[in-house]
Amino acid sequence: MKKVLLAISIIILLIILISPGQEVITLRISWWGSQTRHDQTLKVIELFEKKYPNIKLKPEYTGWSGYYDKMAAQAAGGNLPDIMQKDIKFLNQYIQNDLLLPLDQFVKNKLIDLSNVDKASISAGVIGGKLYAINIGNNAYGVFYDPQMFTKARVPYPKPSWTWEDYMDTARKLHKALGIYADTTICNAGDYAGFEHYLRQHGYKLFDDSGKKLGYDEDWPFVEFYSMDVQLTKEGVFAPPEVRLESRTVENDLLVVKKAAMAHYWSNQIVAMMNAAKRPIKIALYPNSKKQVRKGTYLKPSMFWSITKNCKNPEAAAKFIDFFINDIEANKIMMGERGVPVSSKVRNALKPLLTPAQKEMFDFIDLASRNSSPIDPPYPPAFQQILDLLKDLQYKMLYGILTPEQAAKEFRTKANEILAAQK
Amino acid sequence: MQQIAYRKKNITYNNLAGYLFILPWLAGFFFYTILPMLMSLYYSLTQYNILSPAIWVGLKNYINIFTNDPRFWKSLQVTFKYVIFAVPLRLIFALFLAILLAQKRLFVNVYRGLFYIPSLIGGSVAVAVMWKQLFGVEGALNSILISLGILDKGFGWLTHPKTALWTLILLAVWQFGSPMLIFLAGLKQIPISLYESASIDGANWWQSFIKITIPMLTPVIFFNLIMQIIHNFMMFTQAYIITGGGPFDETLLYILYIYKRGFTYYQMGYACALAWILLTIVGVITFIVFRTSHYWVYYEAKE
Repeated sequence: MKKVLLAISIIILLIILISPGQEVITLRISWWGSQTRHDQTLKVIELFEKKYPNIKLKPEYTGWSGYYDKMAAQAAGGNLPDIMQKDIKFLNQYIQNDLLLPLDQFVKNKLIDLSNVDKASISAGVIGGKLYAINIGNNAYGVFYDPQMFTKARVPYPKPSWTWEDYMDTARKLHKALGIYADTTICNAGDYAGFEHYLRQHGYKLFDDSGKKLGYDEDWPFVEFYSMDVQLTKEGVFAPPEVRLESRTVENDLLVVKKAAMAHYWSNQIVAMMNAAKRPIKIALYPNSKKQVRKGTYLKPSMFWSITKNCKNPEAAAKFIDFFINDIEANKIMMGERGVPVSSKVRNALKPLLTPAQKEMFDFIDLASRNSSPIDPPYPPAFQQILDLLKDLQYKMLYGILTPEQAAKEFRTKANEILAAQK
Repeated sequence: MQQIAYRKKNITYNNLAGYLFILPWLAGFFFYTILPMLMSLYYSLTQYNILSPAIWVGLKNYINIFTNDPRFWKSLQVTFKYVIFAVPLRLIFALFLAILLAQKRLFVNVYRGLFYIPSLIGGSVAVAVMWKQLFGVEGALNSILISLGILDKGFGWLTHPKTALWTLILLAVWQFGSPMLIFLAGLKQIPISLYESASIDGANWWQSFIKITIPMLTPVIFFNLIMQIIHNFMMFTQAYIITGGGPFDETLLYILYIYKRGFTYYQMGYACALAWILLTIVGVITFIVFRTSHYWVYYEAKE
């Protein structure tokens, strides 16, 4: 008996020794996000590791603030993770510094399957003719509003075709009927998405394709756009600057706390907002201009996955990205938390399972994709300085220190200076 | 002869032991203070975006800062205003409380503990967030003022360009704990006999305060002044969290500006140059204060 046992164990041992032991590949992956996203992503990783037992993922995750500081420090130390979640604003910087791997070969050999993804969703990750980043989800900028408040004020809901005149009219009526702010401001405070949309509607861009200057050279779009803001703030229809300046998160936006009837956000924030507000909130398209030459709205990739040049096993990393965008079980865990999934197959599979907030988001992206024009190239590296400049000027207008005309001129001069000075 | 050699050996041994004991500190000082400082000096002469290797540009950063950067001058102006008001106010307030707490009263130890708490939690994020709540448009201060009928609607203390910096100065004054503690220790060092003889001579409280307390306390005041000047020039956390430098750079304290250049705009070389300029400024001011010290600081041990 003992001999048999011994023989068996020797045989097992031999098999283990001889069999070409599957080498385990370990990849580092990093992302930013909320606790919800961390939990979900960890579950997706678990699922992935079950499917590909020879690949192990080592997650590194933080909140948004500090994420790029950390990444910058890792890049300086030549220590970037293999797979990185990226925002479109930071894409150019990383490509210019030669830190990301082009992914075209993996798409060609079907390691990353994009057959169910439409071209518009992919194109944002293409820079200089090469695909550097895979879009994970789509967003669009819109006007969030509380339908119950609209009903109470007897104001009709915004139509997709509504104009800036309609918007101002709606805002004044809401303010008059409800006695609260109609909106915090005409755009998201501290973001240039609003002004960017206005420029796009009139055939301009915020940044020139070269990234070395602004994408417009006349002051009237700036003056028109911010005059609306200054005017309605003066009338008390919008929140005064001191209220706006108190940094607000989605969770305590004036709309959530019922002090305003509208707000401006990217569509994926509807989930967080409805969670906080605990009442229905809807999204309308950003208003149109009467002299509009193209739709201002665009589908913005909420975030990307990229593979860095540090990666020693890009095939394994590509497998994960493919799994992330195409696997239905994985997407059922996430339910579009990173934006509406890019794969039509995944979208269809999720549709019956959506909560009201998610459904609003999916429907809005559907509407926006039919009412949009292609996204402009990614922002130049100095965009953050331009954003700070614009924010300062906006408040100087609101406090009456500058007129919109003066601010428009100052913005163009200074922004062009900053952009020209970049390397 | 032999004895001398023995003694010499002993001394080297003693020194060796001493150096061994301070080795951890020396290593830390060298690797985490001196080395980064030298590196930042090098980076201040380069263009460095963190993501790719630094490019040597010589004095270009410094030239740009002085000739072509209005925000640099703005941040200097803001910082000087902050230091000029925050430091004296904080010291006066700390001294005032130290005098109150130096008296022998019931529960004085409890009060000392209570008054020190704001400083213990002072630099922390929590206090900054609390300040934001207190002075917010819907904050406690506005609620009180409205209920008293002084205001009819909330005022944005932190967001109005005229008041934002003052709320930060107020926060600095409120965090008086560590200078207060040092003042308290200083007050206890003053011999009681001086006060006794003064009162025999008929001096009132104010006279003995001006003629005894202040002169005897000047070494402590001097120390606190230097420490507070340095500390307040480097103020960051509160401004970063409460106002973020806004509204339009009215609270853009110098360190906050360095942070923005380095970590928001990815101009690390430029940020390093800014840091060296600040070091020079603080160094010069400290030197001047030191130079004036022998006119007004009284040391018992001298002469």
